[in-house]
Amino acid sequence: MYEFVTGPLAWLAFIVFFVGIVVKLVLYIRGLDWKLDRVTYSVNTSYGVRGALRSIGFWLMPYGTQSYRNNPGFTLALFVMHIGLILTPIFLLGHNILLAERWGVSLPSLPEGATDVLTVCVIAAALVLLLRRIALPEVRIITTAYDVLLLAIAVAPFVSGLLAHYAHDNGQLWTIVHVLCGEVFLVAIPLTKLSHFVLFFATRAQLGMDYGIKRGGMKSKGIAW
Amino acid sequence: MFKKLLFATTASPVCDNAAKVAFDLEVKWEAKLLILHVMGVPGRAFSLQFTDVRTGQREDISPDYVEWVKEEMNNTYGKLLEDSNAEIVTAIGDPYREILRLARKEDVDMIIMGAHSREEDIGATKHRSVTGSTMRKVAKAARCAVVVVNRPCTTCWRLFSNIVVGTDFSKASFSAFLWAFKLAREVGAKLHIFHSIDITAEGLTLPAGQTTIEQRVKEARRRIEQTYIPKLQGYDKYSMEVWEGIPYVEILKFARDRQADLIVMAHHTREIDPEEAELGSTVEQVVLRAACPVASVTHPDKVADLV
Amino acid sequence: MPEGVLCNKNKVNTLEQLQALLADKSGKQYYQEMNNLDVDSKALWDLVQKTCKSRTRTWLEICTHCGLCAESCFYYLSNHRDPTQVPSYKIQSTLGEIVRRKGKVDNAFMQMAMDTAFSKCTCCTRCGVYCPMGIDMGVMFSYLRGLLFSQGFTPWEMKIGTGMHRIYRAQMDVTTEDWVETCSWMAEENADEWPGLEIPVDKENADILYTVNAREPKHYPEDIAQAAILFHVAGENWTVPSEGWEETSLAMFAGDWEACKMQVEGVYGAMAKLKPKRMVVTECGHAYRATVIEGPYWAGRTSGKPPVDSFHYVEWVAEALRSGKLKIDPAKKIKEPVTYQDSCNYIRNAGLWDSARYIMSQIAEDFREMTPSREHNFCCGGGGGLNGIGRYREQRNIGLKVKRDQILATGAKLVVAPCHNCWDAIRDLEEVYEIGIRWSFLKPLLINMIEVPAGMRGEE
Ligand code: SF4
Ligand code: SF4
Repeated sequence: MYEFVTGPLAWLAFIVFFVGIVVKLVLYIRGLDWKLDRVTYSVNTSYGVRGALRSIGFWLMPYGTQSYRNNPGFTLALFVMHIGLILTPIFLLGHNILLAERWGVSLPSLPEGATDVLTVCVIAAALVLLLRRIALPEVRIITTAYDVLLLAIAVAPFVSGLLAHYAHDNGQLWTIVHVLCGEVFLVAIPLTKLSHFVLFFATRAQLGMDYGIKRGGMKSKGIAW
Repeated sequence: MFKKLLFATTASPVCDNAAKVAFDLEVKWEAKLLILHVMGVPGRAFSLQFTDVRTGQREDISPDYVEWVKEEMNNTYGKLLEDSNAEIVTAIGDPYREILRLARKEDVDMIIMGAHSREEDIGATKHRSVTGSTMRKVAKAARCAVVVVNRPCTTCWRLFSNIVVGTDFSKASFSAFLWAFKLAREVGAKLHIFHSIDITAEGLTLPAGQTTIEQRVKEARRRIEQTYIPKLQGYDKYSMEVWEGIPYVEILKFARDRQADLIVMAHHTREIDPEEAELGSTVEQVVLRAACPVASVTHPDKVADLV
Repeated sequence: MPEGVLCNKNKVNTLEQLQALLADKSGKQYYQEMNNLDVDSKALWDLVQKTCKSRTRTWLEICTHCGLCAESCFYYLSNHRDPTQVPSYKIQSTLGEIVRRKGKVDNAFMQMAMDTAFSKCTCCTRCGVYCPMGIDMGVMFSYLRGLLFSQGFTPWEMKIGTGMHRIYRAQMDVTTEDWVETCSWMAEENADEWPGLEIPVDKENADILYTVNAREPKHYPEDIAQAAILFHVAGENWTVPSEGWEETSLAMFAGDWEACKMQVEGVYGAMAKLKPKRMVVTECGHAYRATVIEGPYWAGRTSGKPPVDSFHYVEWVAEALRSGKLKIDPAKKIKEPVTYQDSCNYIRNAGLWDSARYIMSQIAEDFREMTPSREHNFCCGGGGGLNGIGRYREQRNIGLKVKRDQILATGAKLVVAPCHNCWDAIRDLEEVYEIGIRWSFLKPLLINMIEVPAGMRGEE
């Protein structure tokens, strides 16, 4: 079982993930229409690129935008969770050992303690976001079961990972559950709203180009995000 | 002299006295009379709403409403309208602007209106955030005479015997003088040419010595003699007088003294910034206090034949 | 009776249609007919498929429902943080549903969507600046209005407005003759005070082609006179076109895309014909946005720009002050506290905040920024055509509260609002809430402040 989920199934998950996000991105870009979107993507492109980079850069920076600064708690949870979501799986020692075993390559690893902290932080941040969804009326009204499910999909690998690592009794079982959760997560990225993994960059770049080319980017230093 | 007249009304009691004059002139001069009712200031942005000037209500423009206003106007002026062929026109906009627009379009010879007090103009003021009354703005820009009737005027214009014209020697005043003369000659009235040395004006703020004032009076008389009298083309029913004081007070005193049927003057563009003039311009002051109608003539267009 | 006499899917292209609409007081019959208007789901879905491409679809799909956009919307704030005013909710429950249901929506839905698109959003695009995903709901609402319009669901005044544009190429019934006549009238009215003042019509190769908002000739012609005086004093070689003089676009607010195109093509036509060096538009925000920012796309101009370089009035004023063409008499600067209303259309959506700041630094001694300001400023409350729509007056008035509080917080009693919509909204705000403020365009302020070279002003 372990062999299967970490072998063929993992392959499948990775293929779906990589192919999926590339397809998503390509479809997005191909669906852009300068006339309908009212942005001349290919004229004055340098302004567009500048606008896109600003738009992505400021929004990748913690507290880099007015919106983030107005919502410090949320921003903290948001960044903690996303940093954890990305760093932990890549730099986790266990993952890298596995990688080395299977393909003979591996990435540098973080100390176990650090990844443990990150994992706990991700779970805590996710909890905060979940509570926020329930507590704030303006978020509750737009929250759907789907949103909660996606949150669960994103956090499940972390919860199960912790259990697999620290559960003494059913370690093997939890490990399989953990791998499955991870694979579900990977597959879910291109197939669900989690596609914002790439589409965040796409939409941000698009709006950045809009502001950079058309909405004042050529007459000002650029919008203060 | 009056072929086309424009009577601007809000169909409120303030306009009643003006209405009588308007209808009287229409009949006596066989003129075409247009009655303009500016229904309200434009409502919201480009929308079709406006604020009714009389009720303060928000209304929508619709043909029905226009008909209704016309009906109301007929009721208000019922009796007066009987002998009249007046045409009722309605418009929406800032009253002064619409009055000027129609006057220009129809090239009217005279605009007749009531003395719209400031309170009444408040709607318009709020609307555009500008001060200054409809009357002042019409008087300033109209190319024809603007007659403001505040008190009942019982004397028929044909029977006028005394017309007072106030001058400050400005270009505008000269037009006012010519117009007053034209009317005096037409109805055979006596023309009283009047100037007041403005003791409040700059340069005379210090109590001016009697001699200076006397000198100035002399000078003013000479100016009238030189520039105004020759224009009378031998018409001898006239007098001239120069007093000193605050112009609007003096002209009122003088008009009373001569039992004026009509005061003619120019709108003084030079006057203090209207935003700051709490009391309003001289014309407005005179209008509010005069017992007779006041005509404001500022531009030479309608007296071009006499220049 | 699915298609009404007045309320239907047809476009208003004839004077008869327009007059019939105008005769319907307050749109009573129009809105009654709307209750029976059928939705052509197939046509709606076809249109969505043709026009709703990856940008908009992705926006709808990837909204993470984080709610950050809530506080960015002045409607949410002025309605006691009513969750149904959250931008994401508003767009998901309208445009989002149309897309999800593949156009299979009914009359009640369309009316709800119309009410939402017009009375709960002014297309100020502020929320787009606050959304981490870069989702611009203002742009989407504007698009939704277009879908609604195609099915005949648009407020009465909007239907009339688009008719005006289609028939007169202006938002109001001002004909070419009316316009040209108004220009000569204004030149004449001010000739005594400003000898040599001209309003040149159709002069070729001028430095500046000046264009306006139809309300100016219709109701406030002195605005044109003031523009003329300022150009005159600045020594500009300028002209107005006899046709293509109107820059506004109620069609843009209504979502009548076809009329949007017709309207800007008129202006571009004037540019092509008169070959000016550049174009300057009056103090109107949406006019600038419609003609300079969005217009080139409607007209299919691949450069994304109008045929000649185009400027908003504040840009011209800032330039004239910088270059000394206009000089401010220091003694006449505004002494009292004064604030500035940043218009969404030419500030957030066109980046002109610095011009505005420069002007204020030159004309005011005690300039106070609103908080927030510049590209982050709140909508005046009257954007998107809302000022003129009777059906949503009440919602609009509630929306004004945010601007009211912003102004009050500055302590200023004078608001400079170089945008027709903002100007109107602030005037209405004073009428509704009576906070004792005054408001003004730049032109009348400037005229009272500039140093006039000797001999330029008439003797009296
Ligand atoms: S801020 Fe953006 S992502 Fe968040 S709820 Fe609003 S629209 Fe959706
Ligand atoms: S565009 Fe403006 S009014 Fe519309 S939802 Fe966004 S913030 Fe609110």
